[in-house]
Amino acid sequence: MNARIYFNQLRMGLKIFLRAPSAVFWLVGFPIAILLVLGTVLNDKVDDSIKLTWSYGATGAAVNAEDTALKLAMAERGLVVETMAPAAAEARWQLGKTPALLEGQDGKYTLRINTYYAPQGRQIHALVQQSFLIAQARARGVGELLPMPTTMTSPGGHRGGPYAAYLLPGLLGLNLLMMGLISVGMVDAAQRERGGYKRLATTPLPHHVYIAAQVSIRLIIAFSAAVMLLLAGAAVFGVYNQGSYLSFAALVLLGASCFICLGYALSSFMGGVDTYAGVSNLLLLPLMMLSGVYFAIDSAPLWLQHAVEILPLAPLVTALRAVFNDGASLGSIGPSLAILAAWTLAAFAVATKRFRWV
Amino acid sequence: MQTWAIEAIGLQKRFGKVHAVRGLDLRIRRGEVFGLLGPNGAGKTTSLEMIEGLVRPDDGEIRILGLDWRKDGNEIRNRIGVQFQSTQLDDKIKVREALHLFGCYYRNPRSPEELLKLLQLEEKADAFQSTLSGGQRQRLALGLALVNKPEVVFLDEPTTGLDPQARQVLWGLVRHLREEGSTVLLTSHYMEEVEALCDRVGIMDHGQILQLGTPRELIGELNQPSFVEIEFRDAAPDVQAFAAHLGMPVEAKAQHWSIALGDPKRDLHRLMSSIEALDLPMQQLHVRRASLEDVFLHRTGRSLRE
Repeated sequence: MNARIYFNQLRMGLKIFLRAPSAVFWLVGFPIAILLVLGTVLNDKVDDSIKLTWSYGATGAAVNAEDTALKLAMAERGLVVETMAPAAAEARWQLGKTPALLEGQDGKYTLRINTYYAPQGRQIHALVQQSFLIAQARARGVGELLPMPTTMTSPGGHRGGPYAAYLLPGLLGLNLLMMGLISVGMVDAAQRERGGYKRLATTPLPHHVYIAAQVSIRLIIAFSAAVMLLLAGAAVFGVYNQGSYLSFAALVLLGASCFICLGYALSSFMGGVDTYAGVSNLLLLPLMMLSGVYFAIDSAPLWLQHAVEILPLAPLVTALRAVFNDGASLGSIGPSLAILAAWTLAAFAVATKRFRWV
Repeated sequence: MQTWAIEAIGLQKRFGKVHAVRGLDLRIRRGEVFGLLGPNGAGKTTSLEMIEGLVRPDDGEIRILGLDWRKDGNEIRNRIGVQFQSTQLDDKIKVREALHLFGCYYRNPRSPEELLKLLQLEEKADAFQSTLSGGQRQRLALGLALVNKPEVVFLDEPTTGLDPQARQVLWGLVRHLREEGSTVLLTSHYMEEVEALCDRVGIMDHGQILQLGTPRELIGELNQPSFVEIEFRDAAPDVQAFAAHLGMPVEAKAQHWSIALGDPKRDLHRLMSSIEALDLPMQQLHVRRASLEDVFLHRTGRSLRE
């Protein structure tokens, strides 16, 4: 009897979901769209050489020995220099079209960095200074300087994949959060406010069967969205899960459970849909910006970074990334899993204690 | 011994400072169609929700078909049907699907086909719920309440906001329920609806039932079986002078006068002579029998729609 209700409810819920194009877009299409756009745009930047503008002395094309040495050192460091006369260079700077402007006259150099181009500007600054020091060292006959060996990899040391490989686990984590806060919590608040639950409360439909079906629907959607995102990542950017698919699936399940419980728990405190929408946005936006979904947030104040690490999204994203990019085992990401599990249990306890039909 | 379909004794409910229901007593027989009539805020919906097991009363006893909500909640839910003022269904659920989904909650449901036929919604079976007209939506809500062949049906303002034609269709469905032997408890603030459908009526105001009986009894107790309504095209003449000449009270509202006739034969004659004597410049006169609206006005001093 209960099994029949459960399957009917499940089948109907999925059918209705597929009939709402906007819901399908937000829960399945949105992360894929972001992956395609950001993965493409930001990936090109990484491959590109770093450009700056060099304004030569008043005569325009005059090149002395110091200029030549600096130019060589900069080229060795992968800097691409476009040279032009001072007036043209100044005009270009003022339009904001160059991240850095190097001015040189009689062996004296000054460098201007456009702050709007940070962190690219900072990188140019370091490389130009380095080139300048090396050019001076060579001029004084110090002999060839040897750089220390450097490798670029992900934190787990497995591969230095493209930006899409960093982005994909982040988007997956964010998607689970949005599903919990919007598709679960908002629907719960709306059902209660508009009397949908009240109507069900007059029927013999048991609570637990109804909730089980609702949760199952969300899990099926979450897993479908995850599979599509993985397929898109593999097909377009050639990024693959480096770890075990079982571990990855377990993380998706844990993350989805955590945010589904949080959605129910949060909405049980809210008077109605409007309050819920406001509060959930207030939570969603900072979590989305600070949890390292799109970029590592090493520039944020330290206390903020620590604060974000104990909220549920950052540990989930860290864990997904460790498995996906570095092939980490679940055992090696224990701290992230512990924080996530604690949130899940707490939210589950609150949600089950406070859930009400009427 | 025959049990009551619905038995409520001494129901009390407070919401903070608002004393919404203050001592409601109600006994409804099996097969009876009972109407709770009252203005908005009279406590009708709260009373109904307590009887439906949605709101726990602060005090009092409720039995549905002899069963107690606290012990036999699921048994009661299997045997009652509830229609709300607005049933919140997913926009993208189809009529047939909604009937089927609700049916599976019950032991012994009616088939969607049977309900579609009963509700005259056959051609809308595969339409999304959100595309239905107000009347069709209300019929679907009623259908969902009837899906388990309920012994007791609760209808909360079933025709509020519907056009007259849609209202007639719904009235037909309620009459059909009575013929099938169901007990119906409905609320309404349309007195003509209650007069047309209900075996017995309870007039409710300020959380209490003021008067209880068949519509005929209630109107009979007024001792004012008929009313004469007079309308004027322009400003009405002096109502005081007319009432003094007539020797009966006249209720005046702008260009509209209303006079209650205790004894139609005698009073109508007096009225006609006064009209003739004062040469009243009236545009229209008509006589109507007393209605539940008049009963309500008499008991509370307020109109139902206020």
